Amino acid sequence: MKLTRRELTAALLAPAAVAQTPQIAADPVQAARDRIKTNGDILAKIEIPMDLEPAVTFKA
Amino acid sequence: MAAIGDDVFFATIPELNAHLKAKDFSAEELTRAFVDRLQQYGPRYNALALLLHQEALRKAREVDQDLKRGRLRGPLQGIPYGAKDLISYAGQPTTWGAKPYAGQVFDYSATVVEKLDAAGSVITGKLSTVELAGGGGYTRASASLTGPGLNPWDRTKWSGGSSSGPAAAVAAGLVPFAIGSETSGSIVTPASFCGVTALRPTYGLVSRHGAMALSWTLDKLGPFGRSAEDCGLILQVIAGKDAKDAGSAGKSFYYTPQYARPMKDIKIGYIPVDFTDRAEPSARAAFAAAIAVLKDTGAQLVETKLPQFPYGPILSLILNAEMGSIFEPLITSGKVDQLADPPQIAGLKASLSVPAKDYLKAMRIRRQIQQEYSRYFSEVDIILAPGRSGPAVAANADLDAPGYTPPEGTGPGTQGIVQAGNLAGLPALVLPCGLADNLPVALQLVGLPFSENLLLAVGKEFQGRTDFHRRRPKL
Repeated sequence: MKLTRRELTAALLAPAAVAQTPQIAADPVQAARDRIKTNGDILAKIEIPMDLEPAVTFKA
Repeated sequence: MAAIGDDVFFATIPELNAHLKAKDFSAEELTRAFVDRLQQYGPRYNALALLLHQEALRKAREVDQDLKRGRLRGPLQGIPYGAKDLISYAGQPTTWGAKPYAGQVFDYSATVVEKLDAAGSVITGKLSTVELAGGGGYTRASASLTGPGLNPWDRTKWSGGSSSGPAAAVAAGLVPFAIGSETSGSIVTPASFCGVTALRPTYGLVSRHGAMALSWTLDKLGPFGRSAEDCGLILQVIAGKDAKDAGSAGKSFYYTPQYARPMKDIKIGYIPVDFTDRAEPSARAAFAAAIAVLKDTGAQLVETKLPQFPYGPILSLILNAEMGSIFEPLITSGKVDQLADPPQIAGLKASLSVPAKDYLKAMRIRRQIQQEYSRYFSEVDIILAPGRSGPAVAANADLDAPGYTPPEGTGPGTQGIVQAGNLAGLPALVLPCGLADNLPVALQLVGLPFSENLLLAVGKEFQGRTDFHRRRPKL
């Protein structure tokens, strides 16, 4: 599903998408892992061309 | 010998150079004065990690011999400087601001240190850093072996980080210039909070060999100085190809103000809401006045809109994955628990859980970001944004707590420009532009890769019409 600009912007501004929260989590490591997963979920919704390579290049 | 007082401590590199040429004082006398000042005032701002007293005087004496023999090495010859304490100096501790590395000593100096040494600069000390450059996500200014970085303009305020020491030391006239680093904001933020001119160079322009790696594809080293011109002179020395840095762009930099484009030919894109509703109320007057100055230069200021991407999540995934790999031994050994900041510890531990597919997806979207900005810069030459939306926060603040919140419905402005700039490897120049509640605020100019001369030209023009970069805090 392709994200609309509005959905992308909402994801950018969503508190869950930011790396840190002001509350002290019961398990801060799990909370940090959850944020990583949330960030991954946001990116998973973005469609990209199959032939788009990562911004690192290996040279022999 | 001419008296070495505040006019010297806050002089630019060309001004100091003129003094040395005129033999107003020797390099040794100048170095001794700066070393004493750094020793006296550095701890007041928790800016000093390690004084290099003997090393500095030894180097200064060598410089005096060179000057006596007519061996001239350029404008940085005899100029003292400090280096962020994640940059190695052979035989002396390089702590990375972190307790697990407090006794760490490298037997080699970083490439930037060697280049500055070859140019005759005199390193006087290592300057404080947030522990491990803050990559795990710190929430307190106290996340450092040297304590919270304090702002020379108001010691109840934070100097900003992670290049806390470089920014504070230059702001307080403890060094004429310093070398800091940025992965995501660590030059822009402290320069803005301390009212110091600073430059985040294009990714790969300055060698990172000998500097702590936090994120291979995001880390950059850059100068803090008294002016845009100073930053240009420093960059000319420290930039260049280095086979020891896998990320080296293989390009040199020559500071060429004589070839600056006419200001009327330069198009600067900005988003007005950044300087109104998105800016803290105390800073708006300073921002408005600064924009008026830029308009007076003849540059075309045009309203713009940035490419939209979820910059925060993309950068966070890349930083976490690379940082986790770099610090895996620290984390799995348990020594990570010795760090000062609990959220930073948690962030580092969690960084080992980034799935490869997510890291690679982020890196693929990153290529799209690069492509979009390449297209974007065909419309404007420079992006203008605030360095930060307001002045420095309290030194004991929860850095995660929401600060000023713009009115509901306010557009995003250039929110995300720091992440975007770092993801695309873009250079940024920070220019002090006024005071808000008696604390500095700053602009940032962001350009295409390798457009540093353009940014510096606009910066020099702005600083020719203002004096915020020459203002001095009362120590």
